[in-house]
Amino acid sequence: MTLVLTPPPESPEVDLATTYDAIVVGSGAAGGMAAHVLTAKGLKVLLLEAGKKLPIEKELRSMQWPYDHPRRGDAPPGSHALSFNEYTVRQRPYAANSAYKHVYSYVGGWGGADYVKNILVDEKENPYTGSPYAWVRARALGGKTNIWGRLALRLSDFDFKAKSHDGYGDDWPIAYSDIEPYYDRVDRYLGISGHKENLPHLPDSLFQRPTKLNVGEVTLRQKLAPMGRVLTPYRAGVTTDGLKHNKYRSKCYGRGACNRRAGGCDIHAAFDSPTGLIYPAMDTGNLTLRTNSTAREVLVDRKTGKARGVAFVDSVTHKTYEATAKVVVLAASTLESARLLLLSTSPQHPNGIGNTSGHVGHNFCEHVMGPGVTGLMKDLVGKPHTIEDGRPGGFYIPRFRNLADKQNGFIRGYGFEGNSGQSMFPWHTDRPGFGAQYKKEVRDHAGAFINIGAFGEVLPRYESAVSIDPDVKDAWGIPALRFQYQFSDNEKKMGEDMVTSAREMFDAAGIEIIGVDRELLTEGWSIHELGTSRMGDDPKTSVLNQFQQSHDVKNLFVVDGSSHVSASCQNPTWTIMALAWRSCDYLADELRKGAL
Amino acid sequence: MTDRSPWTLTRRELLGATASALVIPLLTPRLLAALSPFTVSARFFTPAEFALVDELSEMIIPTDAQSPGARAARVAGEIDRRLSETVETEWQSRWRMGLQSVDALCRELSGKRFMQATADERLAVLTQMAAGEADPKTPAQKFFGELKGATAQAYYTSKIGIHVDQQYKGNVYQQGEYAGFAAT
Repeated sequence: MTLVLTPPPESPEVDLATTYDAIVVGSGAAGGMAAHVLTAKGLKVLLLEAGKKLPIEKELRSMQWPYDHPRRGDAPPGSHALSFNEYTVRQRPYAANSAYKHVYSYVGGWGGADYVKNILVDEKENPYTGSPYAWVRARALGGKTNIWGRLALRLSDFDFKAKSHDGYGDDWPIAYSDIEPYYDRVDRYLGISGHKENLPHLPDSLFQRPTKLNVGEVTLRQKLAPMGRVLTPYRAGVTTDGLKHNKYRSKCYGRGACNRRAGGCDIHAAFDSPTGLIYPAMDTGNLTLRTNSTAREVLVDRKTGKARGVAFVDSVTHKTYEATAKVVVLAASTLESARLLLLSTSPQHPNGIGNTSGHVGHNFCEHVMGPGVTGLMKDLVGKPHTIEDGRPGGFYIPRFRNLADKQNGFIRGYGFEGNSGQSMFPWHTDRPGFGAQYKKEVRDHAGAFINIGAFGEVLPRYESAVSIDPDVKDAWGIPALRFQYQFSDNEKKMGEDMVTSAREMFDAAGIEIIGVDRELLTEGWSIHELGTSRMGDDPKTSVLNQFQQSHDVKNLFVVDGSSHVSASCQNPTWTIMALAWRSCDYLADELRKGAL
Repeated sequence: MTDRSPWTLTRRELLGATASALVIPLLTPRLLAALSPFTVSARFFTPAEFALVDELSEMIIPTDAQSPGARAARVAGEIDRRLSETVETEWQSRWRMGLQSVDALCRELSGKRFMQATADERLAVLTQMAAGEADPKTPAQKFFGELKGATAQAYYTSKIGIHVDQQYKGNVYQQGEYAGFAAT
């Protein structure tokens, strides 16, 4: 079966003599949402993306069999994906002095580096320094949404009012009730699959058809219920029923393609920013797109101190241009937006634009991952193979720590992502031995394994920070980012508890534990960077107000994960988009009122 | 392009295998065993090394009643492809030395090179290599993990591994409901 997809629309020519209503920097989840909301309100928007516009379906080739690829999915000779060991051992910048021509992040090594080599940045061109950090960056239209993990979760007041709950850090300047209508809009506009559970700490979305569980997962779900824990089908940012209002996306056909390699969906059932947000925005006639445009500075009006536009470098020609607008909206990613703010120094803003508080780059937070267990469900050994891996995700076990209870040794919580059953490449080909017995064991056990791995909340701390490196520059001459960040004792204690609680659940379900992961993966491994320009009511201790608007510069907004006050343990993409929608509604109203 | 590589099954040999997993049941081990022998032009391995890897891989994943083994799946050719394309000379020398350690161990046990040894003598060599799997000590034991890992990777990403051995059912467009059970 072959689906016929609607080709992308054409963008109008960029006119740098025009003053646009808004310039949006970055085309991922946040930038795509800003483009969608603002163009729908009739604003003329220029969208700048540092990366290329790719023929993405040809890059992803979701259904290609490994043996139909000339190198079984490997990137061309001379390319290399960094491993865990390299992140912890090598000096930064990681790719400096490498024998390889191209060096990519670890995601490029996920069994199909060739499919993401044009989406991920080359570390050689994009260095960074400081403490060890696995910084996965995608420079292409749509950014990381081209390959994201699709787990689409809501935050709750356990997150927004976390300080009120346990005394640490700061509350967000919003409550769940403020953002709930925008979560609803995101659900309806983009589609989300899941099963209602009525949990106060993980609010339900407006779900389309849920994916299914396999036998082992049903058993685990049943055994967890008496423990007060929940196993729910993966809440996937995937349209399982289709979207009548979007001609660029197909519904999900359960090909399982998004679980192989680094992700991605060439029929766009999984949300990605280009087909979900940007192409529809272009169809309004209000969106101009310029790719290969790396923003290097927010330009400032010397009289008013307000933002007047963005200076950017053409990624191909290395020429610098200026674009002007009434409002500047940064959505370059948590770390790139912080870099851009800090680079935008002027007499009015000597520490970087929007940084009177000195908090830009600080309170950096994310998710910690690594600990988990793998088990064997003996009843499933030797059972015939099924088609059950054809689904956009496995399952999720929401947070259960520090809600009604209070743990010793750590605050906040974690959830588990899990998977089990059949897959194209069998699990545990490292079973002992060789020969006919080994071959039969691999075959018989292939669908009988189950694995869960935790994602925990990393506490925001002022001293967890990024800054501009005084010496190192990227391939375009833009100063690089320097990290000063490592996990604290709370994350380490939480990591130990992740192992304990994971074992407890498998024991309760009678699943034989065959592997235990105790190690915390390198900082950055979760690819959930947050903070660095947090929201707040006090301009002395926060960078943005509750509408992601700079306290200092009224016509400057930062609508990506930078604004998050704390990390929660829930995956951030859906919250990033709900917040961006809310802020851009506000932005359009304020602009109309002449208040910007 | 890939069809030119001598170790790739030709379209005629595996008629329909790439088009759909549904036709795979036609591809019985007996049918595959009847295929004509193929020629080898390795790019990294010497002919002798290639023959050794080919034999070792087949011993790790042999033909059985369910499916053809590593030899039919051209596992040695895929390992050769990876080694010939890498810039990691250290990895290449691990393989060169590793194969030498297999011959050395065989000489020690039976006084012969591996390919000159009998089936029982070869089995004794591989058994001793695998004995240290959890905690490898000798050079040959250390090489076993590398050899087995590469064999499994190449075999289970091959047509034979995915379709004939694993009988993999996915990577298809599902119409209607997903397979599995609803959460209730």
